[in-house]
Amino acid sequence: MLQCPREADVLDALASARWPDRVSTELSQHVASCAVCRDVVAVAAAMREDHDATWQEANVPSSGQMWWRAEMRARQEAIRDASRPVTIAQGVAALLALVFVVAAGWFAWPTLQGLFATPPPFLLPLAIGLLAALVVTPVALYFVLSD
Amino acid sequence: MFPREMTVSELERLDRIADAAVDGLQMDEDTFRAFYDRTARQVWAYLARITGDRTLADDLLQESYYRFLRAQQAFTSESHRRNYLFRIATNLANDRYRRNRVANVVALPAENEPGALSDGRDFAAESERRADLSRAMATLKPRERQMLWLAYAQGSSHEEIAESLGLRKASIKILLFRARRRLAAALGVQS
Repeated sequence: MLQCPREADVLDALASARWPDRVSTELSQHVASCAVCRDVVAVAAAMREDHDATWQEANVPSSGQMWWRAEMRARQEAIRDASRPVTIAQGVAALLALVFVVAAGWFAWPTLQGLFATPPPFLLPLAIGLLAALVVTPVALYFVLSD
Repeated sequence: MFPREMTVSELERLDRIADAAVDGLQMDEDTFRAFYDRTARQVWAYLARITGDRTLADDLLQESYYRFLRAQQAFTSESHRRNYLFRIATNLANDRYRRNRVANVVALPAENEPGALSDGRDFAAESERRADLSRAMATLKPRERQMLWLAYAQGSSHEEIAESLGLRKASIKILLFRARRRLAAALGVQS
């Protein structure tokens, strides 16, 4: 037998704290003779007592705190998801720039070696001009493109 | 990857996206807070008992409510909503159990913990009974612990248990019977 028809009565007596002292003799006798109800009493009484004690020990965060954390996390996740394509594009751009610099250096190296061996008179002004352009260009771009 | 400055329009765009994410949560703040106040202690007690770890129960409680809020689910009743929350909590606990094989036993309350002696119960005897239950529960499978807790500690119906654990309602009766028998035997009840 999986279930006893008196199981609900037994559970009701346990829930209303009538078990074992304030129940009818008939129910007490039934429980003593019914294996299913004996199990129900043993398990339910132990679990209800444990539930009540665990409930008292529960130290949960306040609802306001929980809402605030959830809200912050939802915002952070949304921003992270929205920023991800930009971050990937930045990474790809940086990688391409690095590849370009290495390739340019590789191909220009013989010419540069020749230039440094017999430097022409315009090399120094040219180098200073290039360096200045490298510094000025990003600053100028920032001022042009920013709001 | 590389830190970069954002323009004001970019910041405004991200702010709008973040606001939309908050608007997309399952409930507004007032509804959530009322629901949380009704359910949080029960969910925590459930998680603490089935994982056997209070700190883990704290973490899983947060995660459960967050996932609940992010879920795109329409609820037909308060009971449906509550069962869905328990389903999330159960799945998270099961995931953690599979990953870590968490401890089976919930530690007993510390002696003289506030509330432990306040209602005049026999604290020593209660502690002993709870320790017995912990040991007996440790012999069960996680699903059996979940089912018994929902049925006998929380008084959930078979339908609610099925919904909370993702099982068929028809199988609850037999599974519950077996779990109850095993726990009763572990508690020393002769069949």
